[in-house]
Amino acid sequence: MSAVWPVSRAAVRRRRVQTVVIGVVVLLSTTMIVVALGLLAASSGPFDQAYARQSGAHLVASYDPSKVSDSQLTKSASAAKAYSGPFAMATLGQGLNGNFGAPESLVTVGRADPGGPVDRLNVWKGRWAAKAGEIVLNRNPTASEGFGAPTLGSTMRLAGQTLTIVGFAYSVSQSADAWVAPAQMTSLKPTATQMLYRFAQAATNEQVSAGQTAVTSGLPSGALVGTQSYLGLRALATGEPNTFVPFLMVFGWLGLAVAVLIVANVVSGAVVSGFKHIGVLKSLGFTPTQVMAVYLTMISIPAIVGCAGGTVLGNVLAESLLTRAFENYGAEGVTVPIWVDVVVVLGVPVLVALSALLPSLRARSLSAAEAISAGSAPRAGRGLRVQRWLSGTRLPRSVSLGLGLPFARPARTALTLAAVVLGVTSVTLAVGLGKSLTTYQTAASRVDAVDVSLFAPPDNGGPAPNDPQAPPAPKLSDAADEALIRSTPGAVSVTASTDLPMRLAGTSTDLRVSFYRGDFEQLGYRILDGRWFDGPGQVVVSERFLRQRGLAVGDTITLQSEGKTVRAQIVGKAMYNSGDEVLSNWQTLALVAPSLRASLYEINVKPGTDLDAFVQAVQKGDSGLMRTDGQDAGTFVAIVLATVVLLTLMLGTVAALGVFNTVILNTRERRRDLGMLKSIGMTPAQVTVMVVTSMAALGALGGVLGIPLGIIAHRLVVPAMANGAQVAIPAFMLDVYPWSLLTLLILAGILIAAAGAYFPARSAAHTTIAKVLHNE
Amino acid sequence: MTEDLGNEQAVVRLTAVRKEYGESVALDGVSLEIHAGEAVAVMGPSGSGKSTLLSMVAGLDRPTSGAVVVHGDDLGSLNEKGLALFRRRRIGMIFQFFNLLDDLSALDNVALAAQLTGTSAAHARKRALELFEELGIGDRRNTYPAQLSGGERQRVAVARALMNRPAILLADEPTGALDTRAGEQVMDLLLDLNQIGQTLLLVTHDQQLATRCASRVIDFVDGQIAGERSLERTS
Repeated sequence: MSAVWPVSRAAVRRRRVQTVVIGVVVLLSTTMIVVALGLLAASSGPFDQAYARQSGAHLVASYDPSKVSDSQLTKSASAAKAYSGPFAMATLGQGLNGNFGAPESLVTVGRADPGGPVDRLNVWKGRWAAKAGEIVLNRNPTASEGFGAPTLGSTMRLAGQTLTIVGFAYSVSQSADAWVAPAQMTSLKPTATQMLYRFAQAATNEQVSAGQTAVTSGLPSGALVGTQSYLGLRALATGEPNTFVPFLMVFGWLGLAVAVLIVANVVSGAVVSGFKHIGVLKSLGFTPTQVMAVYLTMISIPAIVGCAGGTVLGNVLAESLLTRAFENYGAEGVTVPIWVDVVVVLGVPVLVALSALLPSLRARSLSAAEAISAGSAPRAGRGLRVQRWLSGTRLPRSVSLGLGLPFARPARTALTLAAVVLGVTSVTLAVGLGKSLTTYQTAASRVDAVDVSLFAPPDNGGPAPNDPQAPPAPKLSDAADEALIRSTPGAVSVTASTDLPMRLAGTSTDLRVSFYRGDFEQLGYRILDGRWFDGPGQVVVSERFLRQRGLAVGDTITLQSEGKTVRAQIVGKAMYNSGDEVLSNWQTLALVAPSLRASLYEINVKPGTDLDAFVQAVQKGDSGLMRTDGQDAGTFVAIVLATVVLLTLMLGTVAALGVFNTVILNTRERRRDLGMLKSIGMTPAQVTVMVVTSMAALGALGGVLGIPLGIIAHRLVVPAMANGAQVAIPAFMLDVYPWSLLTLLILAGILIAAAGAYFPARSAAHTTIAKVLHNE
Repeated sequence: MTEDLGNEQAVVRLTAVRKEYGESVALDGVSLEIHAGEAVAVMGPSGSGKSTLLSMVAGLDRPTSGAVVVHGDDLGSLNEKGLALFRRRRIGMIFQFFNLLDDLSALDNVALAAQLTGTSAAHARKRALELFEELGIGDRRNTYPAQLSGGERQRVAVARALMNRPAILLADEPTGALDTRAGEQVMDLLLDLNQIGQTLLLVTHDQQLATRCASRVIDFVDGQIAGERSLERTS
């Protein structure tokens, strides 16, 4: 075999373009496979991965310290696989200095450090609370900070004490809202003791209950005051990642299919165009097995290099995407499972070798003389009827010749067409997915629904008004502010609103109820079912709210706040994302908090109105009103869209490289024909047109075939994503393919094909043909 | 620049043409003229520069220095497109290995040359059919190259070369891939064409072909004209 390596190496050097094409296609395909498999693997259990990373608590339990001692809790906890605690805990009312937007009460726990056997907290900003006077808040790293959210270094008042925020941490277990040093906790007068458990078996409610029984069995009656199972959190948390799964699966399979097609096409083409080379080797005395070894080695060199590079690149990209996608679990560096790397590193070269093996066997069976003469002897033409028909058409001859070229190599054409079809399918799905998501998110988040939002900060008993850091406060009454805004030139509609934390009776879920008055129908909410409220005791909710609670439009719910209760009928279902937000009207607010003023005014103005001038005019009347940003589309859709765009670009590039390779093979095989055509007067432009036409025709056909597949995929993926995200999908989310877009999508197929064909076509058009014609 | 040329004027004029491929010199200061109606054979050993000369005249390649003027067109002044149009209008080429398109019928192979000039398919096929009849292969018009004999393929190639009524017919070893009988048929064909006024430039190793078809033989050695002789045709 000593002769095999130098010959293989020389063959690689001699066939640089094809070597590079194989290497690049394998690299991109491998990257895509690693990303797709990595995401698929991770998407199947991102919550579990994050939970495992933080060693999250399967059960968070609160005990009454007056009934059970810490030593009793520690002793009984030995029944669990692992535990953290006991930690002193208190639910404390708070006031913030210079900040808004934090919850009114905080479940605060005293912990010496963020680590431990259970619930290892991710301190993603600042540091842990080391001494008295310091506090760390639980916040999701990706959560929108919003206006007035607490910042690092600011202070807050908790149970009459001023604490400095020294860090932000995230607990997937949601074990607390805030943490302080144990010494600080003592002065905050703890009312409960927290224990965090992990059990050996915790996959079902029954197993978690069994674990709970085991760790509480020897404790005094009434010691356990509350528990939180991780299965409940899991159900809530996986809603968003589950949205990823359907489209990732489709893109993953598309990527695999395109990669297989391209590799098969590249390798088959390389072997076919290498027949002559094989014949020469045989004539020199290489055995058939040695010839095959030369050929497989020649193909395997770029394949292995591409595979290695693709695996590394895929890991980097997948890790980046996974970290972005799932950082809402506070988990850093979610990685591609090792089995994905192993499967890809072993599988892709084997796939390439298998693709090369069949055509190699074909070459192996040829005699040396046959192999040497392959390509120079005339061969029986293919697609003759089509060629004859095209010859007689009125099309320019360069175009009709180009249209006939795909029929000369039907198998290669079929592989190339399949790659283009899958490329167009990907683009169609991606465009539809992008439109559906953007449409949904725009509608659900009401982006650009209002022109101006003015914030009226509530009076929260903060510092003195002369404090330079004191927030502004409205100078006029609520009614006067609304009248002021309505009378400001340019105002068309004004909606006043305020939020009130409430609780759904019979549950432990906190809700944010937004009460509206004025022109709330102009706020951009889409009513999907039922109607807007028109009287007291009426609410409008989201699909997610209904699904999570098993409710329907027409049902009545009971809302509680500060000891007051109001029964409200669900009169409509609106399109928005939150499952914890309820919309209601000012008449309903009057039943629970009649003295509350509006904290937000959302205004639409006449077209052409200068918004800055409008705001200035309002602030002349009340300088305490602050302009605030409107709704944004959120990061989740941006992540999904970025993923979709990335995968589509990769698939499109690989499909175009498939075309590129086909054109290179075709033009090499037909270099004599091209030389002859130039010798009888075909201009370089006509050669380019002919070659590009041959692939553009495939692109158009690929578009026609790929678009329906893409639309079908879209029809399957979007409802599955909506189901995962627990949102309703109105018809407009699926009807995203107008005829104008379909026409453009056909152009996408042509574009992929033309992009892949153009450069080799130009190269062929400008090749010096004298040698080709004379040396055969 | 194109001009109408009478029989006495040079159809091809090469002036001090030199062509280098890297270190090697394929043509070394070649100057020659070919007049309308002449049949000139270029002979010489392999690597002597015969085929390079043909490429220069056909505008398939450009000289490193010197001038090539064919039927009044200074090829050095033409860009790629201009050269293609020149070949379309002025040149007919036939090759040792015919260079027919396997996927096109014999008739469509020939019609192709005219269709590239914008001639309609119907007119091109009509003209091609006339040539097929003239060359005695009318019954083979719908046959594909793989089904034709070597001699028939070369006749189809000749028909294609004549399709646009070229000023000069260039032939590169036209009988090199043919058996003796087919070779003789092609020689007869070329002779007939020359006798009705077609200017010919042949590149060949075949002394018999040169003797039979050419009125003048130019011998090439190492890229230079080593000698030139006029011949009495043997036929």
